[in-house]
Amino acid sequence: MSQQVFRAPREWTRVHPVSPLLGAWPVFAVVGGIWFYTSGPDWVSAGDDVPDVPEGFTIHPLIFVGAGIVLAAIVVGFSYLFWYFTEYHIGDDAVYQRSGVLSRQHKQARLNRLQAVDVVQPLLGRIFGFAKLRIEVAGGEGSATEIAFLRSGDADALRNEILVLAAGHSAPVAADADIIAEAADAMGTSPDQVTSAHHSAPDPSLREVVRGVPEGQPATPAAPHKDMYDVPTGRLIHAMIRSWTFIILVSLPVLVAVAILVFGVTFDQIVASALGGGLITTLTALIGIVGAAWTQLNASYGFQASISQDGIRLKHGLVETRRQTVPPGRVQAVRLKQSLLWRSKDWWKITINVAGYQDDTAEVSTLLPVGTHQDALTALWLVLPDMGDPDPAGTISAAMSGQGDDGGFIPVPRRSMVYELFQWRFRGVRATDKALLIRHGWLIKQVMVVPHERTQSLSLKQGPIQRLLKIASIHVHSTHGPVVPIVENMDLNQAVEFLEAQAQRARDGRKRQTPEQWMAAVGLREE
Amino acid sequence: MTWFAPEDTAWTHASTRLIPARLLAAWITFAIPIAATVVLAILVTRWLWLGTVGVVLLALWVSVVIVWQVKAHAWAERDDDLIVKRGRLFRSVTVVPYGRMQYVEVNQGPLARLLKIARVQLHTASPGTDAHLAGVPVEEAARLRDRLTERGESQLAGL
Repeated sequence: MSQQVFRAPREWTRVHPVSPLLGAWPVFAVVGGIWFYTSGPDWVSAGDDVPDVPEGFTIHPLIFVGAGIVLAAIVVGFSYLFWYFTEYHIGDDAVYQRSGVLSRQHKQARLNRLQAVDVVQPLLGRIFGFAKLRIEVAGGEGSATEIAFLRSGDADALRNEILVLAAGHSAPVAADADIIAEAADAMGTSPDQVTSAHHSAPDPSLREVVRGVPEGQPATPAAPHKDMYDVPTGRLIHAMIRSWTFIILVSLPVLVAVAILVFGVTFDQIVASALGGGLITTLTALIGIVGAAWTQLNASYGFQASISQDGIRLKHGLVETRRQTVPPGRVQAVRLKQSLLWRSKDWWKITINVAGYQDDTAEVSTLLPVGTHQDALTALWLVLPDMGDPDPAGTISAAMSGQGDDGGFIPVPRRSMVYELFQWRFRGVRATDKALLIRHGWLIKQVMVVPHERTQSLSLKQGPIQRLLKIASIHVHSTHGPVVPIVENMDLNQAVEFLEAQAQRARDGRKRQTPEQWMAAVGLREE
Repeated sequence: MTWFAPEDTAWTHASTRLIPARLLAAWITFAIPIAATVVLAILVTRWLWLGTVGVVLLALWVSVVIVWQVKAHAWAERDDDLIVKRGRLFRSVTVVPYGRMQYVEVNQGPLARLLKIARVQLHTASPGTDAHLAGVPVEEAARLRDRLTERGESQLAGL
């Protein structure tokens, strides 16, 4: 059989030799950009910006190109040296990586500490079929292990194996001899070669997912998954139109029109003033404005969330795609947010805290870029299947749009309006058996949910004015991330009681962990 | 109820030796502007004595706050968690479960070594946990560190 089987390496292996080139492409871009800026036609740069180089001293374009090639060669040469000394392999309980030419670095990502695994494919990687793997363990800054670049098949194989082994630590999956034999038969290999595939076979309906993988399969198949929701491009663009950035961008031409019609400025003057700093300067400013929107579009395009035995899978990206897998119970806190411009549509954005996601949190911490009320409830259920409440949808809906004591929330006292003239009505907190719900927001609605078993520590804080008003704030400490759960301005007596009660609930929460129920709730393992 | 005060909790207060340590550090910081205003008042204009008075008053206020703060700083070891309370104007109580402690750190500056006190810093997986115990007598600090580590290990929960 011509089908290739990708396998995660058990011995020290180097990443794919093409990696230095894939990694060094920004150098080429910068060199090209500098050349374009200095040697391009005059209109590119502002006329008076060019340094006063005496006649005859101007750099010949060929010399510049030559220097660029030499520079690139040096960079690539060094990258290859580093590539040669960078190796990785997977063991039964960790992924190991060693690197460094002069000072050697040895890194191991312990699988029982695994928080998330991401497969990232930048544009070049997508064109040529390469991907990098980011393995997040909760170990503070710089603890993520990045393996770049691998053939995408190798990356998938490594990811699947990591997840199988990581799951084995908490709940071992029994190897099924028949399934292994069947898989071996299908792949034309002997059974002992695929013993690492100790996953239950995909359901017949879900087998297509595995079969759909083109040319070659990973030795360990990905766990079957079930799609939960996606974000249609139309809605994403509509949501971006309903944002303040877009409104400012659109109001610029209006301002120009006003300037022309009311103040009698001619169009030429506006163009002249806009181009006064040179095309590059104007472009930089424009890129700055468009850049934010682009980042959002790039990260949220084609957003798809599904659920599998390995945890939640998120797939998104326009130019650079990212496939994230967050194992069950790794989500530390959730925030649902709705801006004023989204309210008439009842759209929500959901961000999460995952321990280990330290950098680029905006890109990796989105659970739902923009979704309907129902999507938001589904997304929340994905990360918190058991809210410890008989009517979770009703409770959350009350939290999303309620005020005062709607939905059993403890409101904040009226006297806290010294701090917030309008918002105090919308503040509230409620603890179910399993999670803490914090609600606030007058113009921008927010609901934060922290599972009790994920609470790190708690603080009760009070400033001098709060003291006069007999109110206090409770801070719930979650791991590093965009969600910072704080209950502001509670009645002092309630706050003190709440602190003790919450400490007790967190204590009880730490004592139970039930990932099996999580799968049963999805309906993926109906025996 | 005016503030968090659970019954039958034995509070350990910070050592009063922390007061001279902090006062010294504060006065060293204030010495420079005080000296500067004095010199300028003598050389340039007598009006600058007002500046000196201002800085001295500020230094006195800071000293009072330091004394309050140290007196207000206390902690209690309970069965499952450690409570740390601090602050007089801005008060706070932090509850850190032993099972959430990632590691415990003890450090000592030169002045603290002279005064035989140490600072015990507790680390959880959250950057928001600001739980440190200042002004712990040295021998107590080592004992506390070992006890906290031991309790942390026996109760450690996954993230």
